[in-house]
Amino acid sequence: MIGARGPGKGARATREAATGARSARLIGRGLPGARSMPNSTSPLLASRTPPGRSQFVVALVALAFVGLAARAVWVQWVDAGFYQRQGDKRVVRSEDIPAGRGRILDRHGALLATSVPAIDLVADPQAFAADGAQRRALARLAGMTPTALERRLDSPSRFVYLKRGLDAELRERIEALGLQGLRVEPSLRRSYPAGASVAPIVGLTDVEHKGLEGLELVLDGALRGRDGARTVVRDRYGRVIEQVGEPLAPLDGEDLRLSIDLAVQHHAYQRLRDAVDAQRARGGSAVVLDARSGEILALANVPSAEPTARGPAAAAARRNRALTDIFEPGSTVKPFTVALALQRGVPAGRIVDTDDGTIRIGGATIRDHRPHGPLTVAEVLQKSSNVGTVKLAQQIPSAELWAMLSAVGIGRKPALEFPGVATGVLRPHAGWRPVEHATMSYGYGLSVSLLQLARAYTVFANDGVLVAPTLRARDAGAGRVAGTRVLDAAVARQVRAMLRQAAGAGGTAPRAQALGYSVAGKTGTARKQEGKGYASGKYRASFVGLAPADDPRIVVAVLVDEPRGRVFYGGEVAAPVFAEIVQHTLRQLGVPPDLEVAPAIHAAPAVEESL
Amino acid sequence: MRLNLLLLVALLASSLVLVHTAYESRRLFSALDRERARAQALQAEHQRLQAERQIQATPARVEQVARVRLGMRVATPAVTEYVVDPLASPGQGASR
Repeated sequence: MIGARGPGKGARATREAATGARSARLIGRGLPGARSMPNSTSPLLASRTPPGRSQFVVALVALAFVGLAARAVWVQWVDAGFYQRQGDKRVVRSEDIPAGRGRILDRHGALLATSVPAIDLVADPQAFAADGAQRRALARLAGMTPTALERRLDSPSRFVYLKRGLDAELRERIEALGLQGLRVEPSLRRSYPAGASVAPIVGLTDVEHKGLEGLELVLDGALRGRDGARTVVRDRYGRVIEQVGEPLAPLDGEDLRLSIDLAVQHHAYQRLRDAVDAQRARGGSAVVLDARSGEILALANVPSAEPTARGPAAAAARRNRALTDIFEPGSTVKPFTVALALQRGVPAGRIVDTDDGTIRIGGATIRDHRPHGPLTVAEVLQKSSNVGTVKLAQQIPSAELWAMLSAVGIGRKPALEFPGVATGVLRPHAGWRPVEHATMSYGYGLSVSLLQLARAYTVFANDGVLVAPTLRARDAGAGRVAGTRVLDAAVARQVRAMLRQAAGAGGTAPRAQALGYSVAGKTGTARKQEGKGYASGKYRASFVGLAPADDPRIVVAVLVDEPRGRVFYGGEVAAPVFAEIVQHTLRQLGVPPDLEVAPAIHAAPAVEESL
Repeated sequence: MRLNLLLLVALLASSLVLVHTAYESRRLFSALDRERARAQALQAEHQRLQAERQIQATPARVEQVARVRLGMRVATPAVTEYVVDPLASPGQGASR
């Protein structure tokens, strides 16, 4: 094969031609000798041969050699390209070098998604031969029903995937069946070690490693990388023996480091699931934000589904409702109205008379849960008085209220790389009727996602600066992230102090107290909207808060959808989840407790260890 | 004539060496390619084992093992004495 392409081809042709000429000469010279020496007594042989005959034979042989030489010239020079192409067609292959898909990691490097070796089962239905028992054994190993297996095999094609992405460990057991027309091919499978708790964030891929949901879908381009290619010569055993030209190296997909802290995420997911189960609720969501950097430490959604579960029901369960679903936030919006009032110069000590707990605006009556009488601004928040909030809001022009709510991100889509992030609804203030202005001030008539609500509360955590949430880990040591100033630092601190009261004794959520850590936060209990009105007996209980109250490190938002227990208030349903998440997260972050806790260490004389 | 013979022998020898070298290079390349494929397979296996370890060490499982098998409890602030390393963080005061 080397000769066919090297410089040797010309030499060989010349050599052949020369050999031909030489043998022709030898024959010519040898003939006269034979004639003069009769070697047989047969008269036939003894008779003299006519001279023309021997010359004719010599000419024939010479002609044959000329023919061979001409053919050699044809094959090696004139039509060489054709043979070269035919040869290449048989041995030269160009093949892809697949690029590895990037991994998805949590902020500490724990795996959330990675590609692992797996096997594909490939069958040739025409050649497939197996008896009933073998078929059942194969179906069991492949994890499919015998009928599904038969359906796959019932195909006129000669190449059918029976099952893709099986565990590589099954290879030996499948090959031990010794079935004809069945091949086991190596492949890769996407593995999600963290399971259901992060499935709504990470998403998943299809068998071709193409992103289908979540981050796998939206960051598919970066994760995918670029396949390489090379051209190789293979021998008849299929071994690569030569490489033609320079190979194009594959570009592996980037690893993606998320802001998620797996330990925090797991804990939040479990506490939320426990609460949802205990309340027989439809579902729930929880968001934990790093108050300083805006990094999303946890984003839990209940219910969820394992990434291996397929089908529309599982996909619906995996929807990241904290990002994609919007709801009327209710009372959790009140702190922004109060903050705006303070910003406009209302003293914190101002007494707001909530009277008998009702106020009439344009024919509609707004009610408190129960009458509170005269309240200070702080108490309006603490008691979560609708009437008090409305009275404060009435002194604020609609444009300013709208600007405030918009500035904290209500009705503005968070800049997250995620499919289907909700924008929320905040209608332009020009169309607000007085009653709408009033309801907006305490959180009805507008919609947000839970993440938007958590983002809004970073204003109170960061002394008036709003930070943008992110799902990607920020570089450590980058310091405080630049945000947008929304409130004066003094006002933000004032409201934070009020929120601390609201989450304390005498507020709406004493159960939000975390052991050892001070917290500040606000409950929300909103009736669910159904059709044009509000459904009776269906609520969304929420709690949004920050901790530690003096120097907030985290913002936590919890939402429980349709609790069906005896109680449905945010302070009863969502606040305990908040407390547990705060306690665990701050311990995980290594934040020392800022409250005195009665020590429960009981020193007893140590028992000598027996050896 | 002598020289021609000598050159012929040299040519033959060099051709044989060429054939041998080509064979050898293919053999080595195929071995290299096989080892590369093996390296890749081991790399993939490494990833699989990492994933496997992660599955065995999910926080939920660790918590369960710690609680049930090792009889451990969560360290609440009530049973924790916090100390601040004065060298590591000179700016922060001891909180308790």
